[in-house]
Amino acid sequence: MNYLSGIWAARYFWWHLSMSDLRSRWRRSFFGLFWSILQPLGLTLLLSLVFSRIFGMRITEYAPYILSGMIMWEYVAGSVIGGSLAFVQADAYIKQTRHPLAIYTLRNALTGLIILVTASLALILWVLLVMPQNFGWCWFAALTAFPILGLVAWPGATITAYIAVRFRDLPHALGLIMQAMWFVSPIYFEAATFRNGDLHVLVDYNPIYHLLQIARAPLLHGEWPTLANYAWSLGTIVILGVIAVLVGRASEKRVIFYL
Amino acid sequence: MTNAIRLRNVNLHYASVAFRERSLKSLFATWFSQSRTKRDLTDIHALKDITVHVKQGERIGLLGHNGAGKSSFLKMVAGLYPISSGSRDVRGTIRSMLDLSLGFEPDATGRENILYRGLLLGLSPRAMRSMEAEIVEFADLGEFIDYPLKTYSVGMQVRLAFAISTSVGGDILLLDEVVGAGDARFMGKARARIMNLVEQSEIMILASHDLTTLRQLCQRGLVLADGHIVLDAPIERAIEFYEEKFSK
Repeated sequence: MNYLSGIWAARYFWWHLSMSDLRSRWRRSFFGLFWSILQPLGLTLLLSLVFSRIFGMRITEYAPYILSGMIMWEYVAGSVIGGSLAFVQADAYIKQTRHPLAIYTLRNALTGLIILVTASLALILWVLLVMPQNFGWCWFAALTAFPILGLVAWPGATITAYIAVRFRDLPHALGLIMQAMWFVSPIYFEAATFRNGDLHVLVDYNPIYHLLQIARAPLLHGEWPTLANYAWSLGTIVILGVIAVLVGRASEKRVIFYL
Repeated sequence: MTNAIRLRNVNLHYASVAFRERSLKSLFATWFSQSRTKRDLTDIHALKDITVHVKQGERIGLLGHNGAGKSSFLKMVAGLYPISSGSRDVRGTIRSMLDLSLGFEPDATGRENILYRGLLLGLSPRAMRSMEAEIVEFADLGEFIDYPLKTYSVGMQVRLAFAISTSVGGDILLLDEVVGAGDARFMGKARARIMNLVEQSEIMILASHDLTTLRQLCQRGLVLADGHIVLDAPIERAIEFYEEKFSK
């Protein structure tokens, strides 16, 4: 509780750091904010052109599947990999003041979340144009994907940040791990593809599938996410949260020695 | 509530893992090579059995050679370093000026950095905006204040950092050497400003090699050597002791 109030007390600080990240990201580019929309959109077009041929699906419906998978996965993977450097980047701040260290990973998670929100505008627009029949009350459920993903990314980044401050080559290893997780999850490939290959396990017991489903079920199918989707997502949040708190409690004070 | 610092039998160790090679690679390497003979780096015992009470209104000077533990002492009081044993009880808000030039966002302008630095120190955006004009004027960077920080020279960065840090007061002031860089004109201004800040603070601890400044600002002196406090006395006595014992 004390810890949370410390994070709250420093709210102006991490909020502004996050905004400054966004500004410097968009400062010297003509399209600015729109890059966050254009980049996944362009990649999606390319991928869906190829994949729709391979799997024989209609491109207009397969493309939003890829796009939704891409932006949400990019956010989680980006936060976990990028967040692993959060303490190292913030060393100057950590050496000068005593804020809760979790604010530095919150900075990463928050920046990424804002980019995700921006990028999801393109997805929503696309779905509205191509599959207008999906629009309905269940889209409110899609909004819950933002806080849920944020609460996955934050403790995830916090855990890797603590490990990476001790083992500086972690980001390389993480890149590999995330790539492997991407490969065995229905992110670009449809869940049906896994099921057809008798790989139900990779769908039903995969938290990544359930996390993505919270936004995908309403947007792409016009359905409410299932209870199982929420249960798996909340379970992931709790487990990551507990690990992050335990790791933090054990090593927060010693981080300054490693910087 | 009165401000005070109470330290009882404080020990501070720097963990040796921090300066060994640290990577997953080396971790795996030690797992696979059974011989664990190479352990040449041990924990550094930076502060040994420190017991000090500081009351409201005291001005303290820290004396000692490089590596005697002055900076470690200040950072421990500031709560940045975790103590390994003993008790540390600090009452009052701490304002430490230890590494001034640390912590700027290179892509943001000077003006934005004033805001960030203020927020880092725990102020609200509104409070910072009201102080901005005064800080800009003191730093005296001209039009550069609206340029990104990475276009600044080292001296300019120090001036900006100094202007910001000294505009925010606190009960307990921790200083590591009064002013570092800056040209002669700025040094004069900076000195006056520090004096003002020292007057406002309830407790001040200054680590310095400049004996004149110490004499001027402090009443009580702590002489540190090899992590121990070897003398705790009025500043004149402490300086005498330090000169005769260490500077031959």
